[in-house]
Amino acid sequence: MTDVTLTVNGKERSASVPPETTLLEMLRSKLNLTGAKLGCDVGDCGACTVLVAGKSVNACLMLAVQANGRDVLTIEGLATAEAFHPLQKTFEELASLQCGFCGPGIILSAKTLLDENPDPTVQEIKDALAGNLCRCTGYTKILEGVVDAARIMNGKQDAA
Amino acid sequence: MRAFDYIAPDSTESVVAALAAHSPNARLLGGGTDLIVDLKHTSNTPKVLVDVSQVEDFHGIEMTDRGLRIGSMVTHTEIMKSEIIQKELPAMVDAAHTVGAVQTRNLGTLGGNLVTCVPSMDSGPTLLALDALVTIAGPKGSRQITLEEFFVGPRKTCLEPDEVLVDIIIPKENVGKPTHFLKFGLRKGQALALVNAAASFHVGDGNIFSAPRIALGAVAPVVMRATKAEDFLAGKEITEANMAEAGEIAVTEIKPITDFRASKEYRRELVAVFTRRCLAGAYALHQSRA
Ligand SMILES: Cc1cc2nc3c(=O)[nH]c(=O)nc-3n(C[C@H](O)[C@H](O)[C@H](O)COP(=O)(O)OP(=O)(O)OC[C@H]3O[C@@H](n4cnc5c(N)ncnc54)[C@H](O)[C@@H]3O)c2cc1C
Repeated sequence: MTDVTLTVNGKERSASVPPETTLLEMLRSKLNLTGAKLGCDVGDCGACTVLVAGKSVNACLMLAVQANGRDVLTIEGLATAEAFHPLQKTFEELASLQCGFCGPGIILSAKTLLDENPDPTVQEIKDALAGNLCRCTGYTKILEGVVDAARIMNGKQDAA
Repeated sequence: MRAFDYIAPDSTESVVAALAAHSPNARLLGGGTDLIVDLKHTSNTPKVLVDVSQVEDFHGIEMTDRGLRIGSMVTHTEIMKSEIIQKELPAMVDAAHTVGAVQTRNLGTLGGNLVTCVPSMDSGPTLLALDALVTIAGPKGSRQITLEEFFVGPRKTCLEPDEVLVDIIIPKENVGKPTHFLKFGLRKGQALALVNAAASFHVGDGNIFSAPRIALGAVAPVVMRATKAEDFLAGKEITEANMAEAGEIAVTEIKPITDFRASKEYRRELVAVFTRRCLAGAYALHQSRA
Protein backbone atom coordinates (compact mmCIF):
# COMPACT_ATOMS: atom_id res chain seq x y z
CA MET A 1 0.00 0.00 0.00
CA THR A 2 1.08 3.58 -0.64
CA ASP A 3 -0.11 6.63 1.19
CA VAL A 4 -1.31 9.29 -1.20
CA THR A 5 -2.16 12.81 -0.11
CA LEU A 6 -3.76 15.19 -2.55
CA THR A 7 -5.18 18.66 -2.27
CA VAL A 8 -8.55 17.99 -3.85
CA ASN A 9 -10.73 20.99 -4.56
CA GLY A 10 -8.76 22.96 -1.98
CA LYS A 11 -8.92 20.36 0.79
CA GLU A 12 -6.21 17.95 1.83
CA ARG A 13 -7.38 14.35 1.33
CA SER A 14 -5.41 11.18 2.02
CA ALA A 15 -5.88 7.51 1.33
CA SER A 16 -3.82 4.37 1.50
CA VAL A 17 -4.04 2.61 -1.86
CA PRO A 18 -2.24 -0.17 -3.76
CA PRO A 19 0.30 1.39 -6.17
CA GLU A 20 -1.63 0.24 -9.24
CA THR A 21 -4.63 2.39 -8.24
CA THR A 22 -5.39 5.04 -10.82
CA LEU A 23 -6.17 8.59 -9.78
CA LEU A 24 -9.68 8.02 -11.09
CA GLU A 25 -10.19 4.97 -8.86
CA MET A 26 -8.91 6.86 -5.84
CA LEU A 27 -11.18 9.85 -6.48
CA ARG A 28 -14.26 7.73 -7.06
CA SER A 29 -13.82 4.86 -4.61
CA LYS A 30 -11.76 6.35 -1.78
CA LEU A 31 -12.80 9.99 -1.80
CA ASN A 32 -16.38 9.53 -3.02
CA LEU A 33 -15.94 12.08 -5.77
CA THR A 34 -17.89 10.48 -8.58
CA GLY A 35 -18.07 13.46 -10.92
CA ALA A 36 -15.16 12.18 -13.03
CA LYS A 37 -16.48 9.18 -14.92
CA LEU A 38 -15.00 5.87 -16.00
CA GLY A 39 -15.66 5.71 -19.74
CA CYS A 40 -13.24 3.99 -22.10
CA ASP A 41 -10.50 3.48 -19.49
CA VAL A 42 -7.77 4.00 -22.13
CA GLY A 43 -7.51 7.77 -22.49
CA ASP A 44 -9.70 8.22 -25.56
CA CYS A 45 -13.03 9.52 -24.26
CA GLY A 46 -12.08 12.17 -21.70
CA ALA A 47 -14.97 11.39 -19.31
CA CYS A 48 -12.40 11.05 -16.49
CA THR A 49 -10.76 14.44 -17.15
CA VAL A 50 -9.60 16.26 -14.01
CA LEU A 51 -7.03 19.00 -13.53
CA VAL A 52 -3.76 18.13 -11.83
CA ALA A 53 -1.62 21.16 -10.99
CA GLY A 54 -3.90 23.12 -13.33
CA LYS A 55 -3.43 20.82 -16.33
CA SER A 56 -6.12 18.54 -17.72
CA VAL A 57 -5.29 14.84 -17.60
CA ASN A 58 -7.11 11.59 -18.11
CA ALA A 59 -7.39 10.35 -14.52
CA CYS A 60 -7.74 6.79 -15.83
CA LEU A 61 -4.14 6.90 -17.15
CA MET A 62 -2.49 8.49 -14.14
CA LEU A 63 -1.58 6.53 -11.05
CA ALA A 64 -2.85 8.07 -7.84
CA VAL A 65 0.70 8.03 -6.43
CA GLN A 66 1.87 10.12 -9.40
CA ALA A 67 -0.45 12.88 -8.23
CA ASN A 68 0.84 12.66 -4.65
CA GLY A 69 1.33 16.11 -3.12
CA ARG A 70 -0.37 17.92 -5.97
CA ASP A 71 -3.48 20.02 -6.44
CA VAL A 72 -6.39 18.23 -8.07
CA LEU A 73 -9.53 19.95 -9.28
CA THR A 74 -12.59 17.85 -10.04
CA ILE A 75 -15.98 19.04 -11.24
CA GLU A 76 -17.20 19.01 -7.63
CA GLY A 77 -14.79 21.86 -6.86
CA LEU A 78 -15.75 24.17 -9.70
CA ALA A 79 -18.83 25.91 -8.33
CA THR A 80 -18.59 28.03 -5.20
CA ALA A 81 -21.25 28.12 -2.48
CA GLU A 82 -22.48 31.35 -4.06
CA ALA A 83 -22.49 30.57 -7.74
CA PHE A 84 -21.95 28.17 -10.60
CA HIS A 85 -18.91 28.63 -12.79
CA PRO A 86 -19.96 30.54 -15.96
CA LEU A 87 -19.50 27.33 -17.96
CA GLN A 88 -21.92 25.48 -15.69
CA LYS A 89 -24.36 28.36 -16.03
CA THR A 90 -24.27 28.55 -19.82
CA PHE A 91 -24.32 24.76 -20.19
CA GLU A 92 -27.47 24.66 -18.07
CA GLU A 93 -29.13 27.56 -19.87
CA LEU A 94 -28.42 26.17 -23.33
CA ALA A 95 -29.03 22.54 -22.40
CA SER A 96 -25.58 21.85 -23.77
CA LEU A 97 -25.59 18.35 -22.35
CA GLN A 98 -28.09 15.53 -22.70
CA CYS A 99 -27.20 12.42 -20.72
CA GLY A 100 -24.44 14.38 -19.00
CA PHE A 101 -21.86 11.60 -18.73
CA CYS A 102 -19.22 13.56 -20.64
CA GLY A 103 -20.10 16.86 -18.94
CA PRO A 104 -17.62 16.97 -16.05
CA GLY A 105 -14.76 16.28 -18.45
CA ILE A 106 -15.97 18.69 -21.10
CA ILE A 107 -16.47 21.50 -18.61
CA LEU A 108 -13.03 21.03 -17.05
CA SER A 109 -11.34 20.91 -20.46
CA ALA A 110 -13.20 24.08 -21.43
CA LYS A 111 -12.21 25.71 -18.14
CA THR A 112 -8.47 25.17 -18.75
CA LEU A 113 -8.91 26.56 -22.24
CA LEU A 114 -10.61 29.73 -21.00
CA ASP A 115 -8.07 30.16 -18.20
CA GLU A 116 -5.27 30.23 -20.78
CA ASN A 117 -7.09 31.77 -23.71
CA PRO A 118 -10.01 33.97 -22.61
CA ASP A 119 -11.24 34.67 -26.14
CA PRO A 120 -10.85 31.48 -28.17
CA THR A 121 -11.98 30.95 -31.76
CA VAL A 122 -14.39 28.11 -32.48
CA GLN A 123 -11.49 26.18 -34.00
CA GLU A 124 -9.49 26.63 -30.80
CA ILE A 125 -12.45 25.40 -28.75
CA LYS A 126 -12.74 22.31 -30.95
CA ASP A 127 -9.03 21.64 -30.57
CA ALA A 128 -9.27 22.02 -26.79
CA LEU A 129 -12.21 19.58 -26.62
CA ALA A 130 -10.81 17.00 -29.08
CA GLY A 131 -10.13 14.64 -26.19
CA ASN A 132 -13.69 14.74 -24.85
CA LEU A 133 -16.21 12.64 -26.69
CA CYS A 134 -19.94 13.29 -26.46
CA ARG A 135 -22.24 10.70 -28.03
CA CYS A 136 -25.53 12.59 -27.51
CA THR A 137 -25.35 16.16 -28.62
CA GLY A 138 -23.36 16.55 -31.80
CA TYR A 139 -21.37 19.21 -29.92
CA THR A 140 -23.17 22.29 -31.29
CA LYS A 141 -24.66 23.39 -27.96
CA ILE A 142 -21.42 22.56 -26.20
CA LEU A 143 -19.49 24.91 -28.47
CA GLU A 144 -22.13 27.60 -27.95
CA GLY A 145 -21.91 27.10 -24.19
CA VAL A 146 -18.17 27.68 -24.23
CA VAL A 147 -18.49 30.76 -26.45
CA ASP A 148 -21.15 32.24 -24.15
CA ALA A 149 -19.15 31.45 -21.02
CA ALA A 150 -16.13 33.20 -22.50
CA ARG A 151 -18.31 36.22 -23.15
CA ILE A 152 -19.56 36.26 -19.56
CA MET A 153 -16.07 35.84 -18.17
CA ASN A 154 -14.85 38.73 -20.31
CA GLY A 155 -17.67 40.88 -18.93
CA LYS A 156 -19.36 41.20 -22.31
CA GLN A 157 -22.62 39.35 -21.72
CA ASP A 158 -24.79 42.41 -22.12
CA ALA A 159 -23.40 43.19 -25.55
CA ALA A 160 -24.67 39.85 -26.85
CA MET B 1 -4.33 -3.64 -13.43
CA ARG B 2 -2.37 -6.34 -11.64
CA ALA B 3 -0.31 -5.48 -8.61
CA PHE B 4 3.15 -3.94 -8.92
CA ASP B 5 5.53 -2.00 -6.71
CA TYR B 6 6.16 1.63 -7.48
CA ILE B 7 9.32 3.64 -6.97
CA ALA B 8 10.13 7.16 -8.09
CA PRO B 9 13.88 7.82 -8.05
CA ASP B 10 15.04 11.41 -8.41
CA SER B 11 18.34 11.11 -10.30
CA THR B 12 19.74 9.30 -13.34
CA GLU B 13 22.07 7.31 -11.07
CA SER B 14 19.24 6.09 -8.88
CA VAL B 15 17.19 5.09 -11.95
CA VAL B 16 20.13 3.08 -13.26
CA ALA B 17 20.63 1.51 -9.82
CA ALA B 18 16.93 0.63 -9.61
CA LEU B 19 17.08 -1.00 -13.05
CA ALA B 20 20.21 -2.92 -12.10
CA ALA B 21 18.39 -4.21 -9.04
CA HIS B 22 15.09 -5.08 -10.72
CA SER B 23 15.46 -5.58 -14.49
CA PRO B 24 14.13 -7.46 -16.38
CA ASN B 25 11.17 -7.33 -13.98
CA ALA B 26 10.98 -3.53 -14.01
CA ARG B 27 9.42 -1.10 -16.47
CA LEU B 28 10.03 2.62 -16.69
CA LEU B 29 7.03 4.90 -16.37
CA GLY B 30 6.90 8.33 -17.97
CA GLY B 31 3.54 9.95 -18.58
CA GLY B 32 1.95 6.50 -18.73
CA THR B 33 -0.19 7.19 -21.79
CA ASP B 34 1.22 4.13 -23.55
CA LEU B 35 2.32 2.01 -20.61
CA ILE B 36 -0.75 2.28 -18.37
CA VAL B 37 -2.99 1.47 -21.34
CA ASP B 38 -0.83 -1.62 -21.98
CA LEU B 39 -0.83 -2.70 -18.34
CA LYS B 40 -4.62 -2.68 -18.30
CA HIS B 41 -4.67 -5.25 -21.09
CA THR B 42 -1.81 -7.60 -20.31
CA SER B 43 -1.19 -10.31 -17.80
CA ASN B 44 2.53 -9.76 -18.30
CA THR B 45 2.82 -7.15 -15.55
CA PRO B 46 6.24 -6.01 -14.35
CA LYS B 47 7.03 -6.43 -10.65
CA VAL B 48 8.22 -2.85 -10.31
CA LEU B 49 7.32 0.38 -12.05
CA VAL B 50 10.13 2.89 -11.94
CA ASP B 51 8.58 6.32 -12.39
CA VAL B 52 11.17 8.48 -14.14
CA SER B 53 8.91 11.47 -14.70
CA GLN B 54 10.26 13.30 -11.63
CA VAL B 55 13.97 12.96 -12.49
CA GLU B 56 15.25 16.47 -12.95
CA ASP B 57 17.96 15.44 -15.47
CA PHE B 58 15.16 14.25 -17.79
CA HIS B 59 13.45 17.64 -17.93
CA GLY B 60 14.17 20.97 -19.57
CA ILE B 61 14.63 22.35 -23.06
CA GLU B 62 17.81 24.38 -23.56
CA MET B 63 20.61 25.29 -25.94
CA THR B 64 23.95 23.68 -25.06
CA ASP B 65 27.21 23.83 -27.02
CA ARG B 66 26.21 20.62 -28.80
CA GLY B 67 22.76 21.78 -29.77
CA LEU B 68 19.22 21.92 -28.52
CA ARG B 69 18.78 19.52 -25.60
CA ILE B 70 15.29 18.22 -24.83
CA GLY B 71 14.84 16.07 -21.73
CA SER B 72 13.19 12.71 -22.34
CA MET B 73 10.39 13.55 -19.90
CA VAL B 74 9.44 16.81 -21.62
CA THR B 75 5.75 16.59 -22.49
CA HIS B 76 4.23 17.31 -25.88
CA THR B 77 2.52 20.33 -24.31
CA GLU B 78 5.87 21.68 -23.10
CA ILE B 79 7.29 21.31 -26.62
CA MET B 80 4.34 23.28 -28.01
CA LYS B 81 4.89 26.05 -25.46
CA SER B 82 8.68 26.27 -25.76
CA GLU B 83 9.67 29.64 -27.17
CA ILE B 84 12.94 28.40 -28.60
CA ILE B 85 11.22 25.50 -30.38
CA GLN B 86 8.44 27.78 -31.66
CA LYS B 87 11.05 30.09 -33.14
CA GLU B 88 13.69 27.67 -34.41
CA LEU B 89 11.82 24.45 -35.13
CA PRO B 90 8.10 25.12 -35.57
CA ALA B 91 7.74 21.71 -37.26
CA MET B 92 8.28 20.16 -33.82
CA VAL B 93 5.41 22.23 -32.45
CA ASP B 94 3.19 21.04 -35.30
CA ALA B 95 4.16 17.42 -34.69
CA ALA B 96 3.56 17.67 -30.93
CA HIS B 97 0.20 19.31 -31.59
CA THR B 98 -1.00 16.27 -33.56
CA VAL B 99 -0.38 13.83 -30.69
CA GLY B 100 -3.73 12.75 -29.24
CA ALA B 101 -5.59 15.58 -27.53
CA VAL B 102 -4.77 18.09 -24.78
CA GLN B 103 -4.99 15.53 -21.95
CA THR B 104 -2.65 13.10 -23.74
CA ARG B 105 -0.17 15.86 -24.53
CA ASN B 106 -0.16 17.08 -20.92
CA LEU B 107 0.97 13.65 -19.70
CA GLY B 108 2.66 12.07 -22.72
CA THR B 109 6.37 12.69 -23.16
CA LEU B 110 8.77 12.88 -26.07
CA GLY B 111 10.89 10.09 -24.61
CA GLY B 112 7.88 7.82 -24.08
CA ASN B 113 6.83 8.38 -27.67
CA LEU B 114 10.26 7.41 -29.03
CA VAL B 115 10.67 4.38 -26.74
CA THR B 116 7.24 2.97 -27.58
CA CYS B 117 8.51 3.07 -31.15
CA VAL B 118 5.34 2.41 -33.10
CA PRO B 119 5.74 3.15 -36.84
CA SER B 120 3.10 5.90 -36.64
CA MET B 121 4.76 7.84 -33.78
CA ASP B 122 4.31 11.53 -34.47
CA SER B 123 7.56 12.84 -33.04
CA GLY B 124 9.76 10.51 -35.08
CA PRO B 125 9.79 12.02 -38.58
CA THR B 126 10.74 15.58 -37.60
CA LEU B 127 13.50 14.41 -35.27
CA LEU B 128 14.91 12.03 -37.91
CA ALA B 129 14.83 14.85 -40.44
CA LEU B 130 16.92 16.91 -38.00
CA ASP B 131 19.55 14.15 -37.43
CA ALA B 132 18.62 14.00 -33.75
CA LEU B 133 20.83 12.17 -31.27
CA VAL B 134 19.75 10.44 -28.09
CA THR B 135 21.60 10.05 -24.80
CA ILE B 136 21.20 6.72 -23.04
CA ALA B 137 22.34 5.97 -19.49
CA GLY B 138 23.04 2.51 -18.14
CA PRO B 139 25.29 0.55 -15.83
CA LYS B 140 28.33 1.20 -18.04
CA GLY B 141 27.79 4.95 -18.09
CA SER B 142 26.17 6.99 -20.77
CA ARG B 143 26.35 6.75 -24.54
CA GLN B 144 25.08 8.83 -27.40
CA ILE B 145 23.72 7.41 -30.67
CA THR B 146 21.68 8.67 -33.58
CA LEU B 147 17.91 8.39 -33.38
CA GLU B 148 18.09 6.31 -36.55
CA GLU B 149 20.21 3.70 -34.73
CA PHE B 150 17.86 3.91 -31.74
CA PHE B 151 14.86 2.67 -33.75
CA VAL B 152 15.22 -1.07 -34.31
CA GLY B 153 11.79 -2.40 -35.23
CA PRO B 154 8.09 -2.04 -34.48
CA ARG B 155 7.90 -1.46 -30.70
CA LYS B 156 11.62 -2.16 -30.44
CA THR B 157 14.49 0.20 -29.72
CA CYS B 158 18.12 -0.58 -29.02
CA LEU B 159 17.63 0.17 -25.29
CA GLU B 160 18.76 -2.67 -23.04
CA PRO B 161 16.44 -3.56 -20.15
CA ASP B 162 18.84 -1.84 -17.73
CA GLU B 163 19.10 1.40 -19.74
CA VAL B 164 17.15 4.65 -19.70
CA LEU B 165 16.69 7.42 -22.26
CA VAL B 166 18.01 10.69 -20.83
CA ASP B 167 17.57 13.29 -23.53
CA ILE B 168 17.27 14.09 -27.21
CA ILE B 169 19.68 16.47 -28.91
CA ILE B 170 19.16 18.39 -32.13
CA PRO B 171 22.68 19.13 -33.40
CA LYS B 172 23.58 22.81 -33.35
CA GLU B 173 23.79 23.18 -37.14
CA ASN B 174 20.19 21.95 -37.44
CA VAL B 175 18.63 24.26 -34.86
CA GLY B 176 16.73 26.61 -37.14
CA LYS B 177 17.02 24.37 -40.20
CA PRO B 178 13.88 24.88 -42.31
CA THR B 179 11.68 21.84 -41.57
CA HIS B 180 8.07 20.95 -42.16
CA PHE B 181 5.87 18.20 -40.68
CA LEU B 182 2.58 16.79 -41.95
CA LYS B 183 0.28 14.08 -40.62
CA PHE B 184 -2.74 12.49 -42.19
CA GLY B 185 -5.25 10.78 -39.91
CA LEU B 186 -8.81 9.63 -40.40
CA ARG B 187 -10.07 12.55 -38.31
CA LYS B 188 -8.67 15.97 -37.49
CA GLY B 189 -8.55 15.30 -33.76
CA GLN B 190 -7.07 12.41 -31.80
CA ALA B 191 -6.26 10.06 -34.66
CA LEU B 192 -3.17 8.00 -35.35
CA ALA B 193 -1.30 8.70 -38.58
CA LEU B 194 -2.03 6.82 -41.80
CA VAL B 195 1.15 8.51 -42.90
CA ASN B 196 3.23 11.23 -41.32
CA ALA B 197 6.24 12.91 -42.85
CA ALA B 198 8.86 15.57 -42.36
CA ALA B 199 11.38 17.23 -44.63
CA SER B 200 14.23 19.59 -43.93
CA PHE B 201 17.03 21.22 -45.88
CA HIS B 202 19.30 24.21 -45.83
CA VAL B 203 19.07 26.57 -48.77
CA GLY B 204 22.52 26.53 -50.38
CA ASP B 205 24.16 29.18 -52.57
CA GLY B 206 22.44 29.32 -55.96
CA ASN B 207 19.15 28.25 -54.36
CA ILE B 208 20.03 24.58 -54.09
CA PHE B 209 18.98 21.84 -51.67
CA SER B 210 21.72 21.42 -49.10
CA ALA B 211 21.65 18.54 -46.57
CA PRO B 212 18.10 17.52 -47.57
CA ARG B 213 16.35 15.06 -45.26
CA ILE B 214 13.06 13.26 -45.79
CA ALA B 215 11.60 11.11 -43.01
CA LEU B 216 8.42 9.05 -43.25
CA GLY B 217 6.25 7.32 -40.67
CA ALA B 218 3.66 4.50 -40.77
CA VAL B 219 4.97 3.21 -44.10
CA ALA B 220 7.66 0.78 -42.88
CA PRO B 221 8.38 -1.22 -39.69
CA VAL B 222 10.03 1.88 -38.20
CA VAL B 223 10.08 5.57 -39.03
CA MET B 224 12.51 5.78 -41.94
CA ARG B 225 14.58 8.16 -44.03
CA ALA B 226 14.00 8.24 -47.79
CA THR B 227 17.71 8.39 -48.60
CA LYS B 228 17.38 7.90 -52.36
CA ALA B 229 15.07 10.86 -52.57
CA GLU B 230 17.49 12.84 -50.39
CA ASP B 231 20.44 11.92 -52.64
CA PHE B 232 18.44 12.96 -55.69
CA LEU B 233 17.78 16.40 -54.18
CA ALA B 234 21.24 17.14 -52.80
CA GLY B 235 22.83 19.95 -54.81
CA LYS B 236 19.83 20.36 -57.14
CA GLU B 237 18.00 23.59 -57.67
CA ILE B 238 14.98 24.16 -55.43
CA THR B 239 12.07 23.80 -57.85
CA GLU B 240 8.58 22.38 -57.59
CA ALA B 241 9.48 19.78 -60.21
CA ASN B 242 12.40 18.52 -58.13
CA MET B 243 10.22 18.38 -55.03
CA ALA B 244 7.62 16.32 -56.92
CA GLU B 245 10.32 14.03 -58.33
CA ALA B 246 11.67 13.45 -54.80
CA GLY B 247 8.16 12.42 -53.79
CA GLU B 248 8.02 9.83 -56.57
CA ILE B 249 11.41 8.46 -55.56
CA ALA B 250 10.40 8.28 -51.89
CA VAL B 251 7.48 6.05 -52.87
CA THR B 252 9.96 3.45 -54.22
CA GLU B 253 11.72 3.31 -50.84
CA ILE B 254 8.79 2.63 -48.51
CA LYS B 255 7.30 -0.71 -47.47
CA PRO B 256 3.72 0.15 -46.57
CA ILE B 257 1.18 -2.42 -45.44
CA THR B 258 -2.57 -2.58 -45.80
CA ASP B 259 -4.38 -2.43 -42.47
CA PHE B 260 -7.75 -1.30 -41.15
CA ARG B 261 -6.73 2.37 -41.46
CA ALA B 262 -5.61 2.41 -45.10
CA SER B 263 -4.41 0.34 -48.03
CA LYS B 264 -0.76 0.28 -49.05
CA GLU B 265 -1.69 1.89 -52.37
CA TYR B 266 -3.28 4.81 -50.55
CA ARG B 267 -0.23 5.18 -48.33
CA ARG B 268 1.97 5.34 -51.45
CA GLU B 269 -0.13 8.17 -52.84
CA LEU B 270 0.10 10.00 -49.53
CA VAL B 271 3.88 9.66 -49.44
CA ALA B 272 4.32 11.17 -52.89
CA VAL B 273 2.12 14.13 -52.00
CA PHE B 274 3.40 14.62 -48.44
CA THR B 275 7.06 14.49 -49.44
CA ARG B 276 6.45 17.23 -51.98
CA ARG B 277 4.34 19.30 -49.56
CA CYS B 278 6.81 18.93 -46.69
CA LEU B 279 9.64 20.13 -48.95
CA ALA B 280 7.48 23.03 -50.11
CA GLY B 281 6.56 23.84 -46.51
CA ALA B 282 10.19 23.90 -45.41
CA TYR B 283 11.02 26.22 -48.30
CA ALA B 284 8.09 28.50 -47.44
CA LEU B 285 9.42 28.73 -43.88
CA HIS B 286 12.86 29.66 -45.20
CA GLN B 287 11.36 32.38 -47.38
CA SER B 288 9.17 33.76 -44.61
CA ARG B 289 12.25 34.17 -42.42
CA ALA B 290 14.40 35.83 -45.09
C1 LIG C 1 -5.82 8.67 -26.39
C2 LIG C 1 -4.41 8.56 -26.88
C3 LIG C 1 -4.06 9.14 -28.08
C4 LIG C 1 -2.75 9.04 -28.56
N1 LIG C 1 -2.46 9.65 -29.73
C5 LIG C 1 -1.20 9.59 -30.21
C6 LIG C 1 -0.87 10.23 -31.45
O1 LIG C 1 -1.70 10.85 -32.10
N2 LIG C 1 0.42 10.14 -31.89
C7 LIG C 1 1.37 9.46 -31.19
O2 LIG C 1 2.51 9.43 -31.65
N3 LIG C 1 1.10 8.85 -30.02
C8 LIG C 1 -0.16 8.89 -29.52
N4 LIG C 1 -0.47 8.27 -28.33
C9 LIG C 1 0.57 7.49 -27.65
C10 LIG C 1 1.29 8.18 -26.47
O3 LIG C 1 0.50 9.20 -25.92
C11 LIG C 1 2.64 8.78 -26.86
O4 LIG C 1 3.45 7.79 -27.44
C12 LIG C 1 3.36 9.40 -25.65
O5 LIG C 1 4.34 10.27 -26.09
C13 LIG C 1 3.98 8.36 -24.74
O6 LIG C 1 4.69 9.02 -23.70
P1 LIG C 1 4.49 8.65 -22.16
O7 LIG C 1 5.38 9.53 -21.39
O8 LIG C 1 3.06 8.67 -21.82
O9 LIG C 1 5.04 7.16 -22.17
P2 LIG C 1 4.83 5.97 -21.13
O10 LIG C 1 3.54 5.32 -21.36
O11 LIG C 1 5.15 6.42 -19.76
O12 LIG C 1 6.02 5.02 -21.62
C14 LIG C 1 6.04 4.50 -22.93
C15 LIG C 1 7.18 3.50 -23.05
O13 LIG C 1 8.43 4.15 -22.90
C16 LIG C 1 9.15 3.60 -21.80
N5 LIG C 1 9.83 4.75 -21.20
C17 LIG C 1 9.24 5.88 -20.71
N6 LIG C 1 10.18 6.77 -20.36
C18 LIG C 1 11.38 6.21 -20.62
C19 LIG C 1 12.74 6.64 -20.48
N7 LIG C 1 13.06 7.84 -20.00
N8 LIG C 1 13.73 5.78 -20.87
C20 LIG C 1 13.42 4.57 -21.39
N9 LIG C 1 12.17 4.12 -21.54
C21 LIG C 1 11.15 4.93 -21.16
C22 LIG C 1 8.13 2.91 -20.95
O14 LIG C 1 8.69 1.85 -20.20
C23 LIG C 1 7.16 2.42 -21.98
O15 LIG C 1 7.64 1.24 -22.57
C24 LIG C 1 -1.77 8.34 -27.82
C25 LIG C 1 -2.12 7.77 -26.59
C26 LIG C 1 -3.43 7.88 -26.11
C27 LIG C 1 -3.77 7.26 -24.81
